[in-house]
Amino acid sequence: MRIGFPRALYYFDHFPFWAGFFHRLGIEVVTSPATHRQIMEQGLKKASDETCLPLKLLAGHIQALKDVDWIFLPRIVSVEADTYTCPKFLGIPESLLPAVPPGMPVLTVTLNWRKGKRQVLKDLEVLGAQLSQDKADIRKAFNEGLEWQQRYQDTMGAGWNFEESIREIERAAKDLTESAKVPTLVTWKERMFAKMSSTALKPTAELPIVDQNRDRLRIALVGHSYLTHESYANLNLLRKLREKANVELVQNVNQEEVETNLSGLRKKLFWSHSKQIFGAGNKFAEDQSVEGIIYLTCFGCGTDSMVQELVSRRAREQHKPYMVITLDEHSGEAGLVTRLEAFLDMVERRRVHEGYVSTYGECLDRDSNAL
Amino acid sequence: MLVDDKYFLGVDVGSVSTNMVLLRPDNTVKEALYLRTQGRPMQIIQEGIKLLRSKIGKSAEIMGVGATGSARQLAATLLGADVVKNEITAHAVAASRVNPQVQTILEIGGQDSKIIILRDGVVSDFAMNTVCAAGTGSFLDQQASRLGIKIEEFGPLALEAKNPVRIAGRCSVFAESDMIHKQQLGHSLPDILAGLCQAMVRNYLNNVGKNKDIKGPIFFQGGVAANPGICKAFEEELGQPIIVPENYDVMGALGAAYLAQEKVGSRPGTRTQFRGLDLGETHFLAKSFDCTGCANRCEVVEITQDGRSLARWGDRCGKWSVAGVADTAISGLEQKEEQQGA
Repeated sequence: MRIGFPRALYYFDHFPFWAGFFHRLGIEVVTSPATHRQIMEQGLKKASDETCLPLKLLAGHIQALKDVDWIFLPRIVSVEADTYTCPKFLGIPESLLPAVPPGMPVLTVTLNWRKGKRQVLKDLEVLGAQLSQDKADIRKAFNEGLEWQQRYQDTMGAGWNFEESIREIERAAKDLTESAKVPTLVTWKERMFAKMSSTALKPTAELPIVDQNRDRLRIALVGHSYLTHESYANLNLLRKLREKANVELVQNVNQEEVETNLSGLRKKLFWSHSKQIFGAGNKFAEDQSVEGIIYLTCFGCGTDSMVQELVSRRAREQHKPYMVITLDEHSGEAGLVTRLEAFLDMVERRRVHEGYVSTYGECLDRDSNAL
Repeated sequence: MLVDDKYFLGVDVGSVSTNMVLLRPDNTVKEALYLRTQGRPMQIIQEGIKLLRSKIGKSAEIMGVGATGSARQLAATLLGADVVKNEITAHAVAASRVNPQVQTILEIGGQDSKIIILRDGVVSDFAMNTVCAAGTGSFLDQQASRLGIKIEEFGPLALEAKNPVRIAGRCSVFAESDMIHKQQLGHSLPDILAGLCQAMVRNYLNNVGKNKDIKGPIFFQGGVAANPGICKAFEEELGQPIIVPENYDVMGALGAAYLAQEKVGSRPGTRTQFRGLDLGETHFLAKSFDCTGCANRCEVVEITQDGRSLARWGDRCGKWSVAGVADTAISGLEQKEEQQGA
């Protein structure tokens, strides 16, 4: 049996869990290809005009899934205690049914971690019944999924390469002959350890994610994972940024740091993504080594409309250069490149002007004038 | 050769206008051109160069070239620019050279509007308008032609207003229908025009100027700065005098010229990459094709000069732009495309 998993939206956060889950059940998971022009165009045609770009992309990816027995569209209500996902997540799968090719069965499950692990397991058992799997197997698959997710989460941190990690998971999910093992991901702790013991890691063909050159700018890119890592829709923003600067991402900030940076809010943020974005954004705003913050959002994002404003206030309090980039379906790069260049120019000229004080204290500038 | 026969050239190719500035080494402006791009940037750049040559003569020497504007890449390829910079930096550099004290730049052009905040001559914050074109010159152009007046008359007429009407400025569609209502109620033309100016300024400040710390001296530049009605509306809204610099309509090009001067001056002995003032005579050609290498179907553009490839861009993967400046022009490209697409 083959289950189609669209490469959009929750793919960027929760794919490892589902990959592990289905792997244990002996079900092959097929993902749609990386977004390209046709996928985007198909998505724009089928999705509601009023909705946001990530959902339109999801609609495109649903149609790009070929040769599968089911299309998997879970309703992820909540992923942790006290929070919900974005309201548009709750409308899945119903809001996207027009995009499903006629005759293609949709597999869905409601996941609500707010109600606790027991309820999640119960709901997964209902899903399992549809796939004629018994309860004991579902329980094992659930644990396997959690393990894969944990392993994946451990790869985040300095030098994290999303594409590399997720590719490894996809490979493992496809290979059913392999003994059911967690994919061989290099966690960031292992990576650090390897670096410390000076055993050279295999060199990646891609650009180095973290360049040791201290003169490079350090820029934080905050926003939803399905925007920052959706390289087609964001016009390769992350890559463009990495050519010029070391980039800090929301995913590089671990859960404890996010929590400590939430203090000072008068009311809790009840969307899990927003909580993460604000916590990380706040940390970047206060971190003196981060020289600028870019907030990537998309047209019509309801949660960002508030969180963006909150992050911008924190950035302003710290006199940190801050810019919002709003994505929509346009594919013209010129506007994005102009803004990006101008922003990096500004940060760089500012650094020269202020007399950059090295964190190593080697070149204290007598002209430095703190803001 | 005369000493004052040396110049730095700044070129700003925007969506509506193409501007060129010739800067003398002593930082005074020799020539400033303001041409309409009319959707044909390549021809206009060549025409501009021809015009400049006719004004300064063949013997003049160009010591450095800077390009900016939304078509800066194209301009840089055609001219052989020494420095290519975005419009924000170019505008900021020009304004702070004209007046080092300036702290805020309001810039409204044909298709975009921006605000730049400077502190001690360095950009500290900026914003550009998003997808909406409500607060730009094109909107004013459109409304002027709807009212049957020339755009040049717009500002002076607006200044005659006694009781500016209130028009919704949030969106150009609403503004237009609101304006028609006011017309039908019998409000005078100057009052409506002044109302439009106020609406546009409100929209600009709410949209682009949101959360920006606007402090004087304030420069107002870009094509729309020619409209005294808008200037007055800005002054009323901000409660501060607005300065329109002398070369307000070519500030981007002026900034590019300063940047070229900086770049060439910082490395003595280097020669400019400028391709010469006889550029107007050569034959440039732009061709585009859909790359079939993958599902993205990128539209690749190739610029050729007399059959020789100068540059390519538009591909997401970089296979054409990196393969770039070979001697194979577009005819050779098709073969290559087949090979690589297979």
